[in-house]
Amino acid sequence: MMGRGLNIFLGLYVGLIFAFVFAPILFSLVFSLNSQRFPTIPLGEFTLEWYVQIWNDEDVWQAVRNSVIVSSSTAVLATFLGFCTAYSDFRYNFRFKGPYLALILLPPTIPLIIMALAMLAWLSRIGLSGQLWSIILAHSVLTAPFAMALIRLRLHQMDPDLEAAAWNLGGSEWQAMRHVIVPFCAPAIVSALCLTAAISFDEFAVSWFVSGLNKTVPIVILEIVQGNIDPTVNAIGTFVFLTSMTLVILAQVIFIGRQIKSHS
Amino acid sequence: MSEPLVTFRNVEKRFDDFVAVRDMSLDIHEGEFLAIMGSSGCGKTTTLRMLAGLEAPTSGEIRIGGRLMNDVKPHERDTPLVWQSLALFPFLTARENVEFGLKMRGMAAAERKRRALDWLERMQIEAFAERNVATLSGGQKQRVALARSLVMEPRMLLLDEPLSALDANLVIRMQGVLTRLQRELGITFVYVTHSQSEAFAMADRVVIMSQGDIAQIGSPKDIYRAPANRFVAEFVGRNNILSGTVGETGGNGLHIDTPQGRFVAHMPETVPAQGAEVSFTVSADLVTLSLTEPEAVNKVQATLISEEFIGSVVTLFFEGADRLEFKVQMQERALLELDLEPGSAVWLSWEAENANILEDN
Amino acid sequence: MNIVNRRLDLYALTWRLPIILWQLVFFVGPVVFMVAMSFFVVRNYRMMEAFEFANWERMLTRGFFWDSYWYTLFVASLSATIAMCVAFPAAWALAFRASESVRRWAIFLLVIPFFTSYLVRTFSWYVILAESGVLNAMLGYIGLGPFRMLNTHFGTIVGYLTLTLPLVVILQTVSMANIDKTLVEAARNLGCKPLATIWRVVLPLSKTGFIVAALFCFILAFGDFVAPFYLGGSQEPTLPILILDTTKSGQQWPRAAVVAIMMMLTLFTIAFTAIALAYRKPKGARA
Repeated sequence: MMGRGLNIFLGLYVGLIFAFVFAPILFSLVFSLNSQRFPTIPLGEFTLEWYVQIWNDEDVWQAVRNSVIVSSSTAVLATFLGFCTAYSDFRYNFRFKGPYLALILLPPTIPLIIMALAMLAWLSRIGLSGQLWSIILAHSVLTAPFAMALIRLRLHQMDPDLEAAAWNLGGSEWQAMRHVIVPFCAPAIVSALCLTAAISFDEFAVSWFVSGLNKTVPIVILEIVQGNIDPTVNAIGTFVFLTSMTLVILAQVIFIGRQIKSHS
Repeated sequence: MSEPLVTFRNVEKRFDDFVAVRDMSLDIHEGEFLAIMGSSGCGKTTTLRMLAGLEAPTSGEIRIGGRLMNDVKPHERDTPLVWQSLALFPFLTARENVEFGLKMRGMAAAERKRRALDWLERMQIEAFAERNVATLSGGQKQRVALARSLVMEPRMLLLDEPLSALDANLVIRMQGVLTRLQRELGITFVYVTHSQSEAFAMADRVVIMSQGDIAQIGSPKDIYRAPANRFVAEFVGRNNILSGTVGETGGNGLHIDTPQGRFVAHMPETVPAQGAEVSFTVSADLVTLSLTEPEAVNKVQATLISEEFIGSVVTLFFEGADRLEFKVQMQERALLELDLEPGSAVWLSWEAENANILEDN
Repeated sequence: MNIVNRRLDLYALTWRLPIILWQLVFFVGPVVFMVAMSFFVVRNYRMMEAFEFANWERMLTRGFFWDSYWYTLFVASLSATIAMCVAFPAAWALAFRASESVRRWAIFLLVIPFFTSYLVRTFSWYVILAESGVLNAMLGYIGLGPFRMLNTHFGTIVGYLTLTLPLVVILQTVSMANIDKTLVEAARNLGCKPLATIWRVVLPLSKTGFIVAALFCFILAFGDFVAPFYLGGSQEPTLPILILDTTKSGQQWPRAAVVAIMMMLTLFTIAFTAIALAYRKPKGARA
């Protein structure tokens, strides 16, 4: 039957697409454990040399410290901003709500290279560029929409009477926020923290432009790539990948786990 | 009579162009069970939400215990509400839900736990105190929601269609629970519903609303036996409505000429002028059915169209002169003795005192 | 409306105001300043605030800008087209042939690349596609090659696809999986051939999702400097590379701003057109 042949073809095709998508990730992992300076087939010997090199590189350590500071601060800031917007959108109807939402949702649609230039120019002008927290300011703008989307989605699942029920039982608006809205959104807030941290941890264009002499991990990668073929990139890349994936999986588990719990 | 607990004075509520409640004046007395009934969009829920402070009236005054409430925020009131959606906090246990209001008031943990457990026990769900509310059944959630409001020891409890999500026999059980609670506690219940059976079964007084207006206020019996206007007569159902013009007013009552003949109704308080158009109702269960022409003031001949059984009561649908539909309600056992079948011609009759003149046409 | 409408109070402002201020200073500020900057002048390697059209004149009258402009437009459109076509059979299979759980896993896997460093993936391709790299070595075993793949359009497109293909497959799959399956079956029952079913039933019903996917793909490729720089060899610089070069080496920020503004205008025009198309009612339909 023709359907069978088609199914086999489609199966292979989907496999091919996944191969294309994952080839660079897997090869990067393989190369990071391969002794050749310029890897090819047949592969060289297994080695941890590149990991040892980055382990002993004070620049890389400094970059990791910077990245941790930047991504965790960005996460807190962006999640707070995202929460405020999501809640305002959920709770209130007001004039100019469209432009208000556009204000927070628009940044990701602008190419990073343009944001990088604009941020660099503006932060220099107001004397805030070239610092570690310059990256944090810029990243908070770029990642807040993702936090907003996650938290808004969660609020959408909330019975709108819940907040009013808290008022009805004698809670002020602030108490209702603290005892109802925040606990209800908690899983989404944690997810948003993880997601925005992961995005910030990977971002290189804006970081590179506004950071001055402060390097984060992606900037180190960019500089190595600009120089020569250096397999330490693969080792750093694998490390970044594992960090990001941990954050993302954590975000997923917390969000979905909570979902299941509240539906059982 | 003592000062009413709640007074609405010319209250109006608009949402943009839409008038949800129009010029409402209503007293609610301490300790009564008041039901507000109407179809969706009639303004009953808006009325309740105004009592809870969740909506502010556009104009007019609402007072509770004499105090003007128009601008009092929801959390500064003592008007706990049992929500249609129940609105239990899904991330808390049953006990924590019941404690919520006490916690907002700043009561110490041990004391509020004791009171919460008291109420859970009273509602017979203490076994589920430490369970997440999401895992409870519909009836159990209902009881948690009631306990959560009543633990606040309010003077007045608001209920917004609280039984609408339950299945039929659970509704009957919960009606019993609610009426017993209301009597034991002696507090005021304001109960919003679209269900006539719930309102009539539990309430001392019923307010029927239609498109933002109060159509009638009265005891269930008043509303059932003497609907004030055509809307109520049709809403309550099982009423035969006849229209005609006022003829001469004899000693035995008001004479009304209709296409079905001349009928006599008992004299209303305000006597309409001769020639005026009036309508009157006769309850379906007050119509007598006979195979031969009866000795009665009001009688018509009609043909059986169909039957409708609800439990042991049967409603018969007849067609009279001028294609007018008549409804007659009787016990199924009584019907068996008559041995009717569709097409049978019978006589329908009723007493003059059972004909109720409507205020409108 | 379930929520009490009250006057704007402290509580409401607490949630509404921070984001407005923050975005005004750190989002609107930069963008507006960039526009202003395009009129500044640079003298002796120092930027001075001014209002002159020199930068605009210099960029828009030069052939190299327009060459780069049309080239960027071309490769971004090309990569969007290729990504849409390459993704379609896979998305179709995932939407119509795969079970719910397989589909969910596939989408989960396709999200992973977003959290791996794009730079590292590009570097990986660099090594794979090199003259003496992995791919040529494999092709060598079956007697082919070596092919020159780096520093070509092919390299650029591979880079773009690395960036966009997962997203396109996800968006296409989701928009097709949401189609009411009975409509597709009804079309087949009425004698519609498989390809005609795709063309007449599936595509019209998932139009919005497809246009959004193509738009995303275009925006990502249009703004990316990594793929054309490292894999395309940047002999023909794209607009992002132009921005990079003018900013990083020459300190000519105002000229870079001109390029950036031109890019934004182009993107907005295309995005608005695409979204208008995506949400346009079919002919004859009434709202």
